[in-house]
Amino acid sequence: MVFSSFIFLFVFLPIVLVLYYITPRRFRNLTLFVVDLVFYSWGEPMLVLLMMVSVVINYVAGILLGARRQKKSLSKLILVIAVILNLGLLGFFKYVGFLGETLQFVLPFLNIPILEISLPIGISFYTFQTMSYTIDVYRNTVKVQKNFIDFGTYVSLFPQLIAGPIVRYQDVAEQLVHRRENLQQFTDGVKLFLIGLAKKVLLANQMGVLWDTLRKSGESAGALGAWVGIIAYTFQIYFDFSGYSDMAIGLGKMFGFEFIKNFDYPYISKSITEFWRRWHISLGTWFREYVYIPLGGNRKGLGRQIINMSVVWFLTGLWHGASWNFILWGVYFGLLLIIEKSFLLKLLKKLPAVCGHIYALIFIVLGWVLFYFEDMSEMMRFAARLFGANGWMMSSEVLPTVIAYIPLLIAALLVSTPLFTTIYHKIKWQPLRMVVDNVGCVLSMLLCTASLASSSYNPFLYFKF
Amino acid sequence: MKAVKYLPTFLFVGFIFTMMVLWLVLPKDSYSPQEKRTLAAFPECNTETLTDGTFQKSLDTWLSDHMPARSFFVGLNADYDLLSGRNGAKGIYLGQDNYLFPKPVQDGETLLKNAGYIQEFADDLDNIPVYMTVVPSSGAVNSDKLPAVHETYRDAEWITAFREKLGKNVRFVDVQQDFAKAAAKRQLYYKTDHHWTSYGAFECYRLLGAAMGYTPLAERDFDKEKVKGFYGTSYAKAALWFLPPDTVELWSNHQQPDDAVTVAIHDGQDNKTGSSYFFREQLKNDDKYPVFLDGNHSLVRITNTAAEGGTLIVIKDSYAHTLVPFLSQHYRNIVMVDLRYYKKEVSALVEQEKADAVLLLYSLDNLAADTNLSYLF
Repeated sequence: MVFSSFIFLFVFLPIVLVLYYITPRRFRNLTLFVVDLVFYSWGEPMLVLLMMVSVVINYVAGILLGARRQKKSLSKLILVIAVILNLGLLGFFKYVGFLGETLQFVLPFLNIPILEISLPIGISFYTFQTMSYTIDVYRNTVKVQKNFIDFGTYVSLFPQLIAGPIVRYQDVAEQLVHRRENLQQFTDGVKLFLIGLAKKVLLANQMGVLWDTLRKSGESAGALGAWVGIIAYTFQIYFDFSGYSDMAIGLGKMFGFEFIKNFDYPYISKSITEFWRRWHISLGTWFREYVYIPLGGNRKGLGRQIINMSVVWFLTGLWHGASWNFILWGVYFGLLLIIEKSFLLKLLKKLPAVCGHIYALIFIVLGWVLFYFEDMSEMMRFAARLFGANGWMMSSEVLPTVIAYIPLLIAALLVSTPLFTTIYHKIKWQPLRMVVDNVGCVLSMLLCTASLASSSYNPFLYFKF
Repeated sequence: MKAVKYLPTFLFVGFIFTMMVLWLVLPKDSYSPQEKRTLAAFPECNTETLTDGTFQKSLDTWLSDHMPARSFFVGLNADYDLLSGRNGAKGIYLGQDNYLFPKPVQDGETLLKNAGYIQEFADDLDNIPVYMTVVPSSGAVNSDKLPAVHETYRDAEWITAFREKLGKNVRFVDVQQDFAKAAAKRQLYYKTDHHWTSYGAFECYRLLGAAMGYTPLAERDFDKEKVKGFYGTSYAKAALWFLPPDTVELWSNHQQPDDAVTVAIHDGQDNKTGSSYFFREQLKNDDKYPVFLDGNHSLVRITNTAAEGGTLIVIKDSYAHTLVPFLSQHYRNIVMVDLRYYKKEVSALVEQEKADAVLLLYSLDNLAADTNLSYLF
């Protein structure tokens, strides 16, 4: 179930709100756990069992680790087994097909069968969440969660279940048991949810239409059209993902949870290093906490640091999808970050800020080319178009579409900077702030509903077709 | 007063609950006249459909099809698209004078393929003249009323290319220049529909006369009955509900005897007969265009005992429905076939009817998309 659907907005959410708030406080996690499972199984009726297996593995690992605190070697063994099981499930369901294809390509004479396994929704997210718990229990930084319902609620919490943010157990351990929902927090949640919904429905979806049009128009778009296209995709992926995170955080607030911020205006970055501090923050934090620092981080000399960064960025790429282009994308950023670490950051600091912005944006946008195209030859063709392989100008067939999207492109540009937030916080006069709040909420509600309604409205020209 | 700062919560919660309740209690239509399609029925809910996910998917469709105030929301979205610069987002431009124009066709491949089929069909018919007219799109004819930014209407270019491929056995009547001239003075196309008006069809009828060998009647020979409140398919697609409706004109020759005309409709099992070109029961709908010869059918036979000419076969799309009543003034027997539904060989029909002439009448937009012309022979 996605948030930007009728079934979620007008059936699931109202019912869940009623159920949740009529439940006495100490049973509220149970209610949440049950609705989480309904939420998940709506899209994946059978694979909800897989998620339950993951919950049980880590719950049991936690209990065992808690009981064997003194015996270091046994604890280590339990942790290793738990990590292998977690990554094994993730590996099997997400990467086995990819591995088969790659081996088949490298060693064709082996005739390796390629398994077709459909990716369970959200497995990359919940696996990382459960692992954060087990590792932290091993490290003794969090208490063991003995209550199965509370633990299950943490893993399967529907707001962040299928697209993040990746909430570490240590960040919500306290809230899981002792949260106090209140109307102020709920109202903040509503506002954030509606902002996220508008980002997704009114910006991301529209940018997607523009990107599709320009990508498919091929040669007639020229280099200019290809650049506008990839910029549209740059906006699409940001508003899609950050919109989803906003909705998740907003929904969390409606149920009394506070999740950490996942995006912080990534496109205003002056370097790639800064970009990755602002983009998908929860994933970066996870990799730093559970891979980069345990490998020694930057404390073992520059050589080792470069190796560590390479590992982290290879894995970051791989995490995004089982395909070589994602690995390429990860390695591309790893390389840029290593270059920045070694000298570029110092250089950029001496230059005017605008240089940093331009440099970072160009490489971010080019990065999305790697990210989008899973098919390498298509990627090369598109990259060639960007640099004039099919001429520079747009043809008259494409131009009207691009002109029609100029207002939305400008809106997207402005919304991806902190401009509106800054202006909003400058409003000191409460009545005006309230007008902005409420008008904004009503517009978002009505226009998003209208947009969703419109996508199902398909008049047939002829009666019998 | 303190509660005011929680207003967004009350608005949001109020909205989603109101919508949910309305979804439950409002009566459900099974058919959408605007979209001309059957709406989804409530999906079957059992263990099997739940576990394989089909219930969930179908429920989504059901919810979208039966959402409360659906046409308000669809209209709101269309207004928003228009205001935010995307005129034509639904495939229809809003031009000057409240004209709606379907966007131009983008692909000429099918068009040229169809020219090939028609050429072969005409070459195979011995001694029976084959006439053809392609109706240019409203946007091309009314180009001065198009919005400032629009995709190029390449009707002229494509009609030329099409015509060149037809060969010498098809007598092509080009109406483009006369239409452009006439459109400056009068309305040749509806504003809310892609079809031509009765006047547009009348212009074409006049132009065809010279080629087909009849003397067209004058405009004053017809009585015009005006029917207001016509909202066409462009209107339904564009969803700009604030636009005013069109008026349909039913033109009838006042000298024609009352009982001269018979219209026999053959459509599989579904046959009916009328004694007028106009099927007035269609006027109660928003889309009134089917008033002409009852809309699209596989085969329609129009006989006029008061006419002098012989038999004419018309192979056509819906634009012919307005034109054929005029042609019927000169042909006793017109057999009109629609290849989208008529799946038998047309050359056999021509022979069987001992036709004196064949007319192919298509709009450019349909001809560039229709893949059924292979049924000609």
